[in-house]
Amino acid sequence: MRLRSLAAIVVAGGAAAVASIVGLGLYDISATDQHLAPTYWLLDTSMRRSVALRAKRIDVPPLDDATKIARGGRHFDAYCVACHGAPGIAPEPFALGLTPTPANLAHTAREWKPADLFWTIRHGIKMTGMPAWKYRLSDDEIWSIVAFLRVLPTLTPDRYRREIGGRPPAATVVARTQRATTGDAARGKRAIHQYACATCHAIPGIVGANAPVGPPLEGIATRAFIAGVVPNTPATMIAWLREPQAFRPDGAMPNLGMSEADAADIAAYLATLR
Amino acid sequence: MGSDRDAAVARVPLMRTTFASILLVASAVLARAADVAGNAENGRLLLRQYGCGGCHRIPGVEAARGNVGPSLEGIARRVYLAGRLPNTPENMVRWIVEPKAIHPGTAMPDLSVSEAQARDMVAHLYRLR
Repeated sequence: MRLRSLAAIVVAGGAAAVASIVGLGLYDISATDQHLAPTYWLLDTSMRRSVALRAKRIDVPPLDDATKIARGGRHFDAYCVACHGAPGIAPEPFALGLTPTPANLAHTAREWKPADLFWTIRHGIKMTGMPAWKYRLSDDEIWSIVAFLRVLPTLTPDRYRREIGGRPPAATVVARTQRATTGDAARGKRAIHQYACATCHAIPGIVGANAPVGPPLEGIATRAFIAGVVPNTPATMIAWLREPQAFRPDGAMPNLGMSEADAADIAAYLATLR
Repeated sequence: MGSDRDAAVARVPLMRTTFASILLVASAVLARAADVAGNAENGRLLLRQYGCGGCHRIPGVEAARGNVGPSLEGIARRVYLAGRLPNTPENMVRWIVEPKAIHPGTAMPDLSVSEAQARDMVAHLYRLR
């Protein structure tokens, strides 16, 4: 009897929660804020499982063909870089505003199976910025992109620029955040989502930030050096965040057009990671 | 062999000639810990002997809790080394043996680690996934 009333309370509570999310609009759908951790986990896991299930029966053609890889490189540069960026090249400013932030594909290419990559490019992913390319590219062309993606993690930023991305790095648009430059950690924690930091770094306290493209930022507050080249001080951290390629022209970390105010806020957040 | 090959690869224009050499590097990138030649246990001892833990946090190495450079936790999955070098076992050996050759301004010192020793260190580091 007691069990039954408990179940009734749980059901009623669940219904009330769903009603307030759906009916009252309580869930924050804005792209300026990352999902709550449980929501993120639910969406991310469902997405990975969904892709894996649908890609299971896809036959992977030979991908080691030189011409195919070269063709894929041209497609990648034309269609993918704007949102995903490339080694040393930031995504376009509009893409930094997407939630979820488009993944760094050098990382994805190391972790995902070729069939999963093919399926995702071909069909896209609902409620993300990832479009379906099925009606725009032939399967052959999509496979060529997959073939190139497998090579992408082997390219230094310099090689990518010289041999694939013929155009100069996109002019950085400095974000229009005009504020006093006293850093505020709470603002910084939100701003981190707007500069795709989590697509490359594991950052404590940031939902979804677990990518191992660059070093993890756990303990960054007390790390002696930034990027292996400059002593870590509040001022050098702000300078580095604003223009990493001034310190490391050949580095994989791109200039992201970060405003001084946002850099100060993000540096203030990083300073809390002891 | 690795550095010669990489140097050769660096001179081959990607779009104009064959991708054969790239593919060699690509397969190296996809190498898993099991493929890394080197004695991981000896590497673990060497990482301690060379004081790597003074600057880096390294799972499996006693007292390696430095925070001068980045943590090496999960280093096998890291995409880039030294902020620009694709993470392959070969490139990691090169970086350990001759850091200044890869990045002249780096704070990482040249510790006169031999190539064979570096190979053992890399065998341990490639277990950190």
